[in-house]
Amino acid sequence: MDNLMKRITKDVDLSFAILLSFCVYVFFAMNIEVFFSHNISFAILERFAVLGLVGLALTICIIAGEIDLSIGSNAALCAVIVVKLTDPLGAPLAMLIGLSVSTLIGATQGFVIAFIRIRAIVITVGTLMLLRGVALLIAEEKTVMLTDFRVPDFITTKVLMYFSPASLTVIFIFICVGIFMRYTKYGREIYAIGGARKEALTAGIPLRRPMIIAFALSGFCAGFAGTVIGLKSGTAQGLGLQYLLLAGTVAAFVGGVSILGGKGGVLGAAIGALTVNFLNTGLVFYALQVHFVQLFTSVLLVIVIVFQTMSRIFDSRQARKSLLETIDERKTALLEKKRTVLGK
Amino acid sequence: MSTVIQESQQPISAKFLQFYKDRTLLAILLSLFAVMFVYGIFFTDNYLTITNFKAIIRDAALYGIMAIGLTFVTLSGNFFLLSLKETASICGVTFAMGMATGFGSPDLAGNFMVSLLAALAVGVVSGVIQGYFVGMGGNPIVVTLGGAGILYGIGAWWSDNLVINFTRPHDAEWLGTGSFLGLPSITWSFILIAIAAEIVLRHTNFGRKVYLVGANKAAGKATGHENFSMAIIVFTICSVCCAFVAVAFVAQMDSAQSNYFSAEFGSSGDMTILVIATVMVGGNSIMGGYGSTLRTSLGAIFIAMVDNMMVLQGFNSGPRIVGVGLMIVFSIIVFGLFAKGSRAQE
Repeated sequence: MDNLMKRITKDVDLSFAILLSFCVYVFFAMNIEVFFSHNISFAILERFAVLGLVGLALTICIIAGEIDLSIGSNAALCAVIVVKLTDPLGAPLAMLIGLSVSTLIGATQGFVIAFIRIRAIVITVGTLMLLRGVALLIAEEKTVMLTDFRVPDFITTKVLMYFSPASLTVIFIFICVGIFMRYTKYGREIYAIGGARKEALTAGIPLRRPMIIAFALSGFCAGFAGTVIGLKSGTAQGLGLQYLLLAGTVAAFVGGVSILGGKGGVLGAAIGALTVNFLNTGLVFYALQVHFVQLFTSVLLVIVIVFQTMSRIFDSRQARKSLLETIDERKTALLEKKRTVLGK
Repeated sequence: MSTVIQESQQPISAKFLQFYKDRTLLAILLSLFAVMFVYGIFFTDNYLTITNFKAIIRDAALYGIMAIGLTFVTLSGNFFLLSLKETASICGVTFAMGMATGFGSPDLAGNFMVSLLAALAVGVVSGVIQGYFVGMGGNPIVVTLGGAGILYGIGAWWSDNLVINFTRPHDAEWLGTGSFLGLPSITWSFILIAIAAEIVLRHTNFGRKVYLVGANKAAGKATGHENFSMAIIVFTICSVCCAFVAVAFVAQMDSAQSNYFSAEFGSSGDMTILVIATVMVGGNSIMGGYGSTLRTSLGAIFIAMVDNMMVLQGFNSGPRIVGVGLMIVFSIIVFGLFAKGSRAQE
């Protein structure tokens, strides 16, 4: 607990994220009577199951210093595969196939990025379109639907008042990924190639392994998000789920990742996703149209980016100021010394 | 690949290699053209007709103009905008508003110049604001992703998410459906904009600065060409191109809606990604400093050709999207392998 407090107070972005999330929650809790209730908490956690995973996927990529634009398509592809295969094969096997496809796609992307040494945005724009086409092909350009609705029913049953099997699984994934990123060598390598790539490569960290792991993890998370959405609603479309990219990016950036890489973490991703969920759930009560939700989410993103950029500029100015001050001090000290020597 | 700046200092062998590399990529594109063309002649009905070629260039013109604007952004090392279709949609809504209601004053209703200027002004404002944030040090992808949501939200809010119609005899018909010397106006605009952009990039001070800042940000900064002003200018150019396309499209359809460019559009189902694909398939370096608008125009025509052929062969949208996606990935990987070793990773 002490350790946690120290982490939060030391990290400006994380404390800003917590503050922002608290503000959003309190705003809605003050204005909407039912917001602070068991049912709404359950609904927020249900949304968290989807958005948190997408935010986590993007957080891992951004920690590695890259950004994965194809997660929306990856999620859609996985959703289509899972929904299509659940009827003939049963849910567990379908999920296994869908998730391994997503993970494999992510790993391939990571390999190509590390092998050719191009930026991820370049290749993921291509795969964004390619995977969307593949999803359309597999779905035969129709909406794929489940016939047996026992699986959606099971996924959305209430457990322990706030949770459902879906959100429990997602929280479990969060804990696993958090431990992996923080306490294992492979997780630290991802931070290393994100924060200081040149130094990490010079120190002997291979670029390929952490890149493949980071993108495989992000592909897995995106695929799982697609699975949850697909199985919950019982339908999937090849062209759907593109809104996940914006929502996930907002979650990741509210959670305090830096676009320069090497910063942020799973805790931040969870807080960021919760903030976006508070906003989305709260806006539901105002009965606004979809484009307003998009508008407010984007405004949240811009606020966070402005804050981050400002704090970065402030930091660099502060550093320069202190450097100039030290130089001045040394200069005056030298002058004093000179004067005393000459005076003698 | 700062060709012009380093050319005089490089040894002959390096110069030759550079020349060879430049032309190889172009040669690959041109040979793909030839293969597609021959395949089209022999295996597709109705391919070799003048009407079909006009249709191809007309298709290419719509996203080609946007792609030419985006090429400036890409060349200056600011990657790309994810808010292209949203900028276009809000500008289209502005134009249609002007044509239908005259922004509240009935005297101005249907006035083409006022509506056009209003649409272009909206494009300039959105470009300047996004460019400002990028120039301040924001990441272009993230800033424009946020900008996309805001622009779409404002456009949908303003138009109440309705279709705005204006009746047929209107002043903008010459732009939307008119033609000159047998070619549609939009095709002529594409050709003129492509030539103008090529001249600006090759032969003006500003054009060379775009290459300089894109090829080497540090050198650009050291010589006094900061990315701040550059980002604002290139983002404005790109947004104005989007606004122009939106105006032409709306003039043709006689109506506008905030998700005209978002729903299934052309071959890809997404205008933004299609435009980015055009820039990449043309073989421009996404890292900046290498490429030209000529390549982008060729890329646009190439994508339109492939799409046209697949439509004529009776493919659905799934295989067509896969086709364009494969083209992007292929061109990225080929470009990456060619450029490997000659460009330092940032």
